[in-house]
Amino acid sequence: MICGRDHGDQNTAQIVDLGFTLHRRRRNRLLKSVVQTEMDEQGCPRCKTTKYRNPSLKLMVNVCGHTLCENCVEMLFVRGSSNCVQCDTPLRKSNFRVQLFEDPTVDKEVEIRKKVLKIYNKRDFDFPSLREYNDYLEQVEDIVYNLTNNVDVENTKLRMEQYQRENRDVIQRNKAKLTREQEELEELLLQEQQSNEQRRLEVLQEEQRQLQAKRKNKQALLDELEQSQLPATLLLAQHKVRAAQLETQIEQQKQAVKPTSLFSTGIHMRQTVSLQPVTKIEDVLYHYRPLQVETYGPPVPELEQLGRLGYLNHVRAAVTQDTAGGYTSGLACYRAIQDAFSGLFPLRG
Amino acid sequence: MFHNSSQKKYWIFKSEDELEHMRCKANQKFRNKALESGKKPGVSESMFLQRHEEDVLFRHYERRLLEFCNAFKPTMPKSVVGTALMYFRRFYLSNSVMEYHPRIIMLTCTYLACKVDEFNVSCTQFVGNLVQETPAGQERVLEQILEYELLLIQQLNFHLVVHNPYRPMEGLLIDLKTRYPTLESPESLRKTADDFLTQAAMTDAGLLFSPSQIALTAILNSASRAGLNMESYLTQCLGLKEEKETLSKMYDSMRRMKTLLKKYEPPKLEEVNISKQRLERIHAEFASSSK
Repeated sequence: MICGRDHGDQNTAQIVDLGFTLHRRRRNRLLKSVVQTEMDEQGCPRCKTTKYRNPSLKLMVNVCGHTLCENCVEMLFVRGSSNCVQCDTPLRKSNFRVQLFEDPTVDKEVEIRKKVLKIYNKRDFDFPSLREYNDYLEQVEDIVYNLTNNVDVENTKLRMEQYQRENRDVIQRNKAKLTREQEELEELLLQEQQSNEQRRLEVLQEEQRQLQAKRKNKQALLDELEQSQLPATLLLAQHKVRAAQLETQIEQQKQAVKPTSLFSTGIHMRQTVSLQPVTKIEDVLYHYRPLQVETYGPPVPELEQLGRLGYLNHVRAAVTQDTAGGYTSGLACYRAIQDAFSGLFPLRG
Repeated sequence: MFHNSSQKKYWIFKSEDELEHMRCKANQKFRNKALESGKKPGVSESMFLQRHEEDVLFRHYERRLLEFCNAFKPTMPKSVVGTALMYFRRFYLSNSVMEYHPRIIMLTCTYLACKVDEFNVSCTQFVGNLVQETPAGQERVLEQILEYELLLIQQLNFHLVVHNPYRPMEGLLIDLKTRYPTLESPESLRKTADDFLTQAAMTDAGLLFSPSQIALTAILNSASRAGLNMESYLTQCLGLKEEKETLSKMYDSMRRMKTLLKKYEPPKLEEVNISKQRLERIHAEFASSSK
């Protein structure tokens, strides 16, 4: 999301600074997945019934955000009057675009955004810091929001014009860059497509050749049976051998892997490995030092010694059910002793 | 363990004066806040509770807490009671009774202590123990408890683990039985030591001394009551023969603790009633504005 904004609260804009931006193209692609699918949910506001009766009828949306089905659009402009049915804004036929989204306001916003972004087309490397880029994006969102919801339209348009005047050359430069990038992408796509096609054709040709070879073989057998003097069984045996040879040939061709020179890890195939012993690395030997904890009290006997020292005689013995989980009476005893001795001596000084 | 616990780091103070200072500060803070939040008619300096009145109320509600816990069904283990008392005490170290009514805070402390000490009671079972309320009244109390719970945790500075002296006492008794044959029957000391610990929980001892010291004092106290001398235990078994300084310090703390216990007196009924009335007035005045 480009700088998500809480539209509900107009006085205090809460800018969510996500630290990254979603590329415009990716965003549009994501949005396009939310396409109107239900055929009879929306109706044309003018002729109402036509939409339900004709599921293939498309809804068109215009700059004021209201929808009209194709037929109604034609009718409206045949008569020459060109005002929107619901909000009475003057319209042109070319302003109507096929609706992509269920909610016409979304379409309206998409149109406005396209126009705005044609002017405000700075990119992230045009800015010295992330904060400034995000501020710029916030400006753009402000403008789009204002224009979509008819808030302060005059001022916004003035702002846009001013920006356009000030940054004319930057806009031009970015436009050129954008078209170049798009072209490059399209070239790559085209290349990929072409190589796919070629591969497909090759595979087909290979198959054809194999089929032909088999057929020739069969034909050759029939001819020989007709013409040759040798007994039929011998001929059949010969034929079988030839067929088997053909099969193995085909198999070999299928499994012919293109010889590579690299292993998958990047090592060259011809590279030799040294079998010398690895050099020794001298390091300091690790000595275990048991952890010292200051308990501010007399020393506690070890858990294992508790039985021998006689502590366990004074603790309730563990029932068989308790020992199943690993409990021993020593554990309870140990904890009690630890607690008794911890912090027993005066704490400071 | 206690030696690296938050209780030792943050909730053990040097002297009773320090505690008194903190409580006065809390009192003063509320007074300033109340006077600042708009000069309402009828609000005067004399309306606020003095320190000793706050004390009386605190002790009264502490007793009520203890009674509630003792009458609790199912039986509440001692450590839960100790934890609840400690929470109550810590909360009113930095807050004034005038700001948060002890009636609710006391129940919130118990509720939180049940949760922390893993004595699992459902909330409905918990308020079911408030026998004098109707079910609707119990619901209301429950809502209030849940409202104040987060505040309580916050005022405890999120230090929820409380080390009580009960387990150290068990440990000391085990140690006595194992290593100190001079004392014939340490079990006889248990009852008096228990009483000592319950009394100590009603004083500031938990905020000044470590729980093992309290337990040791309890045992030595009950031994001296029974006329037995246990000094050799300290010198021999605890290895303090050479450490004269540590030994004297320990005796000092034990003496201080005993004085604390002696100083405690249960609050008198008339005083409590008067202070309660004044408290209700203050809450009625300020509760609506401070919400």
